[in-house]
Amino acid sequence: MDFEFTEDQVMLRGLMREFLSEQCPVSHVRAMMDDPRGYDRDLYRRLVQLGVLPFPEEYGGGALGMIEQAIVLEEMGRIPYPGPYFSTVILAGSAIMASGDSRAQARYLPDICNGDLTMTLAFLEDGISWGPDGISLSMAREGENYRLDGVKRFVPFGQSVDVILVVARLGGERGAEGISLVAVPTDAPGLVIEPEVMMDLTSKTATLRFDGVHVPAENVVGSVGGGWPAVEIALRQAAVGASAEMLGAARKSLEMSVDYAKVRKQFGQYIGQFQAIKHKLAEMLELVENAHAAVYYAAWALDAGAPDAVLAASVAKSTVNVAARRVCGEAIQVHGGIGFTWEYDLHLYFKRAKHLEPLYGDTEYHRERVLQEALAGRVAGSV
Amino acid sequence: MDLSYTPQDQAFRQRVRAWLAENVPRQKLTTMEEKKAWHRKLYDAGFIGMGLPREYGGRDARPMEQAIVGEEMVRAKAPPPLNGLGIAIVIPTLIHHGTEQQKRRFIHKLLTAEELWCQLYSEPNAGSDLASLQCRADLVGDEFVINGQKIWNSGAHEADWGLLLARTDRNAPKHQGISCILVDMHTPGVEVRTLKQISGSEEFCEVFFTDVRVPRENLVGELNAGWQIAQTTLSYERGGNTLSRYARMLQQVTRLLDVCRVLQRNGRPAIEDPVVRQKLGQVYAEMEVLRYASLRILSRLERGLRPGPESSIAKLHYSELDKRVQELILDVLGPYGQQVGGIPDELALEPGVAYGETGSWMYAFLWSRAGTIYAGSSEIQKNIIGERVLGLPKEVRADRVAAQVASAASGDGAD
Ligand SMILES: Cc1cc2nc3c(=O)[nH]c(=O)nc-3n(C[C@H](O)[C@H](O)[C@H](O)COP(=O)(O)OP(=O)(O)OC[C@H]3O[C@@H](n4cnc5c(N)ncnc54)[C@H](O)[C@@H]3O)c2cc1C
Repeated sequence: MDFEFTEDQVMLRGLMREFLSEQCPVSHVRAMMDDPRGYDRDLYRRLVQLGVLPFPEEYGGGALGMIEQAIVLEEMGRIPYPGPYFSTVILAGSAIMASGDSRAQARYLPDICNGDLTMTLAFLEDGISWGPDGISLSMAREGENYRLDGVKRFVPFGQSVDVILVVARLGGERGAEGISLVAVPTDAPGLVIEPEVMMDLTSKTATLRFDGVHVPAENVVGSVGGGWPAVEIALRQAAVGASAEMLGAARKSLEMSVDYAKVRKQFGQYIGQFQAIKHKLAEMLELVENAHAAVYYAAWALDAGAPDAVLAASVAKSTVNVAARRVCGEAIQVHGGIGFTWEYDLHLYFKRAKHLEPLYGDTEYHRERVLQEALAGRVAGSV
Repeated sequence: MDLSYTPQDQAFRQRVRAWLAENVPRQKLTTMEEKKAWHRKLYDAGFIGMGLPREYGGRDARPMEQAIVGEEMVRAKAPPPLNGLGIAIVIPTLIHHGTEQQKRRFIHKLLTAEELWCQLYSEPNAGSDLASLQCRADLVGDEFVINGQKIWNSGAHEADWGLLLARTDRNAPKHQGISCILVDMHTPGVEVRTLKQISGSEEFCEVFFTDVRVPRENLVGELNAGWQIAQTTLSYERGGNTLSRYARMLQQVTRLLDVCRVLQRNGRPAIEDPVVRQKLGQVYAEMEVLRYASLRILSRLERGLRPGPESSIAKLHYSELDKRVQELILDVLGPYGQQVGGIPDELALEPGVAYGETGSWMYAFLWSRAGTIYAGSSEIQKNIIGERVLGLPKEVRADRVAAQVASAASGDGAD
């Protein structure tokens, strides 16, 4: 039993912190907020070329486990890093890995690993659902091609990646049946991409309208109609990955608040001397430490294939959703008026955490999952 | 980072489980004789004070082994051992600060529960602000003469000995005139009255001292060094074994899930009600986080890192969590959660429990209110976390201001 990071993991964290603080200062983050693509391709390439990727070495990845992924993402949450790392690696990359489709892996992963290819996963539609029932974008065979029709919303970096992995449904099928993953280049005819303007300007998203988009049959990743299990695995990793990023945003907000409470004086004393503030900060620390335990337990459970891995992933997302909301929000309160300014950086973390809160399952969704797993006995602790 | 149990730990767990399966008493223990006999059995099996060095009757057990025993005890519904506070506080105090003679005289009998102990710290006017205590111990010849009152002392009515904090120098600043003294509770002049708690049970007491004479050799450590001694050992009370708290919570919540299959709400089993499901999912998730956090603490202890002020985060976490969990349980159960007499067996936490006895939903609910008061209230923990973990400046407090004014006036405050 060892909950401490290994030396390698500590080094990875140090590497990421150094790289991001040097190459991705907040001035860059703010520049990207105004950039229609939302990220800098060069920076993205250098980042990926650090080797911080889960994919096997034969494709040029670093074979990182979920614990290491979480370390990387937590560091990104502290910036917050603007770019399609999450969408390429955690969303699309995990789905491609989980599909077990070695042809697709050989086709996409080497380019992802050298930074030449950015991707995303198009999942959500008009209604909000994280189960297979939410998928109605239709896919129909036409000769050598598949034809796609429908709408996808809130697609991460849908406006500025190269290839979109679309979760589609074969006509006539229901539930998890008929779900397929189809790779669609962003310049495919019939695909209309409408950038969305969201609260978190560091995370770009787009609405994608598919109106008779044709792609060759070889663009299907995994088996035709049998794609749901891979999607589910990708969404689970995304839930844990998003939790790690939110943890980073929350810890950074806490650190800024503690620093501020030590220097800001009112009524002749430091505001950190007021119990109302001191106790708030203590509660925030408790939330952050518990979030840490939840994120890294879940990451370990996924890596280890523990019997409670699904439970742990949902525990993590539901816990960190609540923790990050409170910590990033209270950080603004501790700062007073300056915390409400555009100029000050707190809102970047507040908005990043909020952005991730409803994605890959909101708090209620994951609490329901937790209960299902508990009732099914897929737990670790014994009574 | 590897969160799996080692094969040795798994084997140890199996041995403990097997031993408990064979030895846990089938009937409820009612008399003190029965409780002592069970305690003695646990001691002989090596499960009491197992983390202590061998020379003091322990077996140098690793934190993980202690946690496993704690967890398995709950799992097996084993009655708890006696002298919990004594083992947590009195023994470390004696080991760190006691004389050889005191160690030999007291530790073994405490571990075996031949002698029961209580903690005599709190007073009516000295709770969180323990250092303002007024109970006096005046050194007269070779004896302390003790006068004053203590309160909220758990198990004092059954105790043979008490670990007392008393004022031995009334002219010194408040933290510097306190001593730590071992008191025989059977000495003339010691009067104990039990107090009834909101749970309906009588576990804590008031203790009155009238000219109680205690030999000087019962002083622990130096005269007037009692505050420092109490500080070092109070943190033991807070470190706590959070994994066994998780185990107890898991037992309650697992039972709750079963009850929700039977209990009807709005014309269907509660387990099918989406609102109830949300609450159950929340409780379960919060409880799992307690397990993860406990494993994290354990893994630090296993590496030989002592729980510092961070143990306050754990104390705050589990005690506040217990209140949330118990509230939620009562939400889900409706009035059944508050019912003791006449509750249908299939809805009860344990069948056949009377008011004021452990084993009812109500009793667990009421006890959750105590955890955030004793062993340093939640507010005190937040002060510790704020000042000693986060490094925030100390709060402005009237007693500190008064002490500064006094020392400035007496001329030694020039520095
Ligand atoms: C079940 C139970 C068992 C106990 N067993 C024992 C025992 O065996 N031996 C023993 O000696 N004592 C025992 N105690 C006593 C316990 O240690 C005290 O109750 C505790 O220290 C709080 O003191 P108090 O009750 O005087 O409350 P107070 O200190 O008066 O506190 C009242 C309220 O004021 C708050 N407060 C106090 N100071 C501050 C501050 N600086 N900042 C912010 N808020 C503050 C507290 O948090 C609390 O909410 C027990 C208590 C309980 C409930």
